[in-house]
Amino acid sequence: MPSVSEKDSSGSKAFAVFSGGESFRFPRETLVVIIAFIIVWEILAWLTPPYVIPGWARIYQSFADLRVDFIFVTLARVAAALLISFTLGLGLAILMYRSETFERYANPLVRLFMAVPVVCWILFSVLWFKWVEFRIAFVLIATCAPVFIIDCLDGMKGVQKDLRDMLRSFRPTTLQFFTKLILPATLPVIFTSWKINISLAIRVVTIAELVGAVTGIGYGLTVAQELFSVADVFAWTLVLVIILLLAEAVLGRIEERVLRWRV
Amino acid sequence: MSGSIEIEVSNLQKIFRPTAGDAPVVAIDGLDFSISHGEMVAIVGQTGCGKSTFLNMLIGLDRPTRGYITIGGRKPYEEFDYFRGVLTTVFQQDRLLPWRSALDNVRLPLELLGRDPREQAEKARAWLDRLGLAQFVNAYPHELSGGMRQRVALARAFVVEPQLLLADEAFGHLDEVTSAALRRSFIELAVNEKKTAIVVTHQLEEAIEMGGRILVFGRPGHLLADIDLKKCTGARLASLRGDIQQMLESNAPNPDVTQLARKERP
Repeated sequence: MPSVSEKDSSGSKAFAVFSGGESFRFPRETLVVIIAFIIVWEILAWLTPPYVIPGWARIYQSFADLRVDFIFVTLARVAAALLISFTLGLGLAILMYRSETFERYANPLVRLFMAVPVVCWILFSVLWFKWVEFRIAFVLIATCAPVFIIDCLDGMKGVQKDLRDMLRSFRPTTLQFFTKLILPATLPVIFTSWKINISLAIRVVTIAELVGAVTGIGYGLTVAQELFSVADVFAWTLVLVIILLLAEAVLGRIEERVLRWRV
Repeated sequence: MSGSIEIEVSNLQKIFRPTAGDAPVVAIDGLDFSISHGEMVAIVGQTGCGKSTFLNMLIGLDRPTRGYITIGGRKPYEEFDYFRGVLTTVFQQDRLLPWRSALDNVRLPLELLGRDPREQAEKARAWLDRLGLAQFVNAYPHELSGGMRQRVALARAFVVEPQLLLADEAFGHLDEVTSAALRRSFIELAVNEKKTAIVVTHQLEEAIEMGGRILVFGRPGHLLADIDLKKCTGARLASLRGDIQQMLESNAPNPDVTQLARKERP
């Protein structure tokens, strides 16, 4: 695969990797740091016993032996919970935007939800619910939905008065007002909120899966800890990081396409 | 709405009460006039004389505190939906939706009226063509110059073929040449399409160039003069600018200008 070295916008050198006519830029500094990390880790592996810091060969072995189905289970949980959280968050944000009275009552409650630590939601879920999938979904939705609500509401309120007056002067219906102006204008904020929540959900789901799940990356991590296998923990961590980076890249690409009207 | 689009403004007042405890602010203090179908009217006045407040009430975005405005016998605030497609406005800034192409911005009012999609595209394209933007139908607002964007906004206002056209300081923020060209387009289109047009401006030249009628607003929101430009001969027209300027500065009527009134007020 050809790689070209050229200056990026920040002035540092970047490696542009071409695939399918589009280029993905990989800053030189990032590459240097990753290579340095790999080397330092390997040196430390030579100096310490394998149950403290395993070498890359051992980590690769763990990586190859990982349960792929666990990855898909975790991804499915995250995707479902995020879709429910978003639907709930956007719906409630629209209601709060439409009714000032509803917003006055709902806003403190949402802020209160946001202040609850994840570990408390996990404990509540264990105490309240029996079904494991429900526990995990509850924790994820309780964590992500308030972020969607606040972000969407802020985005809607941020729509310029000039544009609102312009559209109102054409006498739209309430539905048209939302579909032609408020929702498209809020899209950039919605994308940002999705990025925050994907990262949040992937970090939270692994903790939630520690509670009674017998599948998923969180369960894989529990098993690795019980076996005292640093290599397995490292391999699962790598998987989580790759999932997060891929999800962000995919979302970024969609955002670029959908919001191509931006200057 | 069919037939005549007579506008009646009677004892109109608008008082804003900013927050509890603050003194009320009088924006419009008793306006009385009428505008006949097909008239071209310019409203001039200094900043803070209530021009935009009046326009907002005329559009129906704001409710009068006292008195009323009727368009064809109906109140624009109370009967808001009745005026769908009847009146459109060109605003100070173009107010185009940045995520829509020029074509999609122009077709927006037709979408809101639920017109057939093919008709929407055809009409929007025809208006962009008429305003010299045929090459830019797919351009996003940020890809167009200020003058081009304002022409898209003009096309958006004309595309529904409204009976009443309003413009709120729509041309003043552009450079002189672009502003004059757009103003000419607006006047030409309004006259050709036999529309009633009301243009709010703080530029006297713009008001005089419109060639119809000038309503001079004093502060706070009352009528200083109602001038029929057709009554002005060449020499009188030359001195008119100075007279209106003097009136605006003193915030008092000028008897010389009052003689040019379109009709005697009761």
